Amino acid sequence: MSEKFTGHGAEWRDANLSATEAKIATSWVELKVDKRSMLTQKDRVEDVRDAMWQLEKEGEIVVHRVSDEHQPVMVKTLYGWDKKIPTQRLWHHKSCGQCGNIPGYPASLLWLMNRMDIEYLDETDQTSCTAWNYHGSGIGNLESLAAVFLRNFHQAYVAAKAQGLPEAYYYPLVHCGTSFGNYKEVRGYLIRSAKLRESVKKILGKLGRLVDGKLLIPEEVVHYSEWLHVMRERIAGMREIDCSQVRATIHPACHVYKMVPEDAIYDDSIMGGNRLAVSTGLMQSLGAQVIDYSTWYDCCGFGFRHIISEREFTRSFAIDRKIRVAVEEARADVMIGHDTGCITTLDKNQWISKAGAKPVELAVLADCQFAALVCGAHPYKIVQSHWHASPTETLMEKLGIDWEAKKAEFVAYLEQIKEGKQENLYDPRRMITSGPGYIPLKAVQ
Amino acid sequence: MAQADSTRVQTVIGDPVAEGGPVTRAKLEEIFADIQSDLRYDHELNGCLNCGICTATCPAAHYYDFSPREIVQLLWTENLEGIHDAMQEKIWACAQCYTCAARCPFGNSPGGLIMLMRETAIKHQMESAKNVLRPFSRVMLKLISTGNQLSPDMINKDHFADWGPNISKVDAPLKLLRRAIPMPTLNTTATAWEVNLKTSVELYTIWEMTGVLKQLEGIDENLFDVITDIMDEKREDWKDFVAEQQDA
Repeated sequence: MSEKFTGHGAEWRDANLSATEAKIATSWVELKVDKRSMLTQKDRVEDVRDAMWQLEKEGEIVVHRVSDEHQPVMVKTLYGWDKKIPTQRLWHHKSCGQCGNIPGYPASLLWLMNRMDIEYLDETDQTSCTAWNYHGSGIGNLESLAAVFLRNFHQAYVAAKAQGLPEAYYYPLVHCGTSFGNYKEVRGYLIRSAKLRESVKKILGKLGRLVDGKLLIPEEVVHYSEWLHVMRERIAGMREIDCSQVRATIHPACHVYKMVPEDAIYDDSIMGGNRLAVSTGLMQSLGAQVIDYSTWYDCCGFGFRHIISEREFTRSFAIDRKIRVAVEEARADVMIGHDTGCITTLDKNQWISKAGAKPVELAVLADCQFAALVCGAHPYKIVQSHWHASPTETLMEKLGIDWEAKKAEFVAYLEQIKEGKQENLYDPRRMITSGPGYIPLKAVQ
Repeated sequence: MAQADSTRVQTVIGDPVAEGGPVTRAKLEEIFADIQSDLRYDHELNGCLNCGICTATCPAAHYYDFSPREIVQLLWTENLEGIHDAMQEKIWACAQCYTCAARCPFGNSPGGLIMLMRETAIKHQMESAKNVLRPFSRVMLKLISTGNQLSPDMINKDHFADWGPNISKVDAPLKLLRRAIPMPTLNTTATAWEVNLKTSVELYTIWEMTGVLKQLEGIDENLFDVITDIMDEKREDWKDFVAEQQDA
């Protein structure tokens, strides 16, 4: 039986309409309301990628292609357009918030990649996208955002040379949702504006980061959650822990699907195509119950500046519009997200609810952390759940994980680290590709 | 009470419009021209029927005296006094989620327009921008000097008391806990990941060539001085490294 909208948990029962009855029931909506059916032919919304190919044809830019070697998988976006998701040879564009605050987020992703023999590079030659600061403070501008974008993506293009491999070997995989949204927005302006291209070309030229004297633009800007999405069945095949009793709510990240919405992935087989496909699709493939809730569309309350200096807004919004609804309405066991700021906000802002009359608690994890957990990753060594303020222990108990024993193992592992016996997901000598500390490939081998 | 109807921000940081005297017409026009001159302006503002979908879905509108519909209307009708007034406080309420942009039937981006207004508030060194951004300076220092927005040593109980006792549920020194992350790039405490020296130097060139340092100098001179000192040091380190390579 094909999957239908099942956002109400195990007690939900299908109306069992025939195909004809279902078509009659929904045809009016599809004809009159469904934006996607009106926009599929690109007659109302411009696909910047069409303009991008034209610019390359005119000799204005070079496009970093998702090639066959990246083993791409095609998906459909909001209006039914195609998007190419690379699955191999990936350059990790890290997130400052994840790495600084939720390190189990990227570690879980890399752990999953190791399990699937995915070739990747995690290197030090990258900055954050700088968009968190920009959206929070207004310090920065379109030019600076564009230059940072082009610099980081150029590094992804040339990084493999440090290992004696050709250019364009790795394809960038963006970890942060804000970076993802910001980079797509900036790419659009770069493609549309000759003036912007001209000004940033001077900067990239000075940095030595042009390709054949031209700006390098990526064919697709790809978020890690999109990689997880296309790999979800393979990941589900590695599952070791039954999670069918877990009621999961999904928090879709604003900058992943509200910024440049035409590029976000939707799939008719996932929540009827009525919700963003990433994370939901993965959780369903893993066998968890994905529970819909009334405030699914709301942001988390992060606010960029607000989480630092307007925290009463952030915590009120996170508690009252997200966590409380997920707990009381959806009776959730976990809230799953796919962005840095959301996970931080939703995870850290629960404790303060104790100050009110009705405190709420809910485990908050990124999609890849949950996936790693049910695929047998160590809850502390890999998932690094000790950095989460929310009650991940309750979730682990529901999954049958003896978290106390695992925590004891981790504490013992800390002693091992003191003796210099640290376990890594990759050879540390690969992380520096130039400058002080760089070891040429032959020496590494 | 002298200002019974004032907002919390006005009470805490004052009301620059009320206390600063009238703003000349020429200044108002200059400010609006700066907002309008950004190439994004025409893309972000296409018209407005006052439908209010943006405000209905706006998280900030739940908690602040803020309405994205009002911001769009002020810009659309070129209400220069209203625009200036909104730049004193309201534009800083926006949470930058872009829900408004995703919902607007006209394809406007109120959140995007807010960014143009924030940039302009900084360019004109408005007192409101300086005051609002003061608590954000730690983040700006980290980002501009290292290329990382956030670092592990910034997350501590003193700065985030309302996050509760569980900054880490394993009681061990931060440095040790960071070494227990199985990604070697993350075995750091002062940056989210280890940043290559060349990367930092390249980033400084971007800041300089795009006018970001000038923005910073106008809004917080002390912070600017600290950051330029750090930049000078790292540039010296890079020069030394390059010289060593040449000698070798």
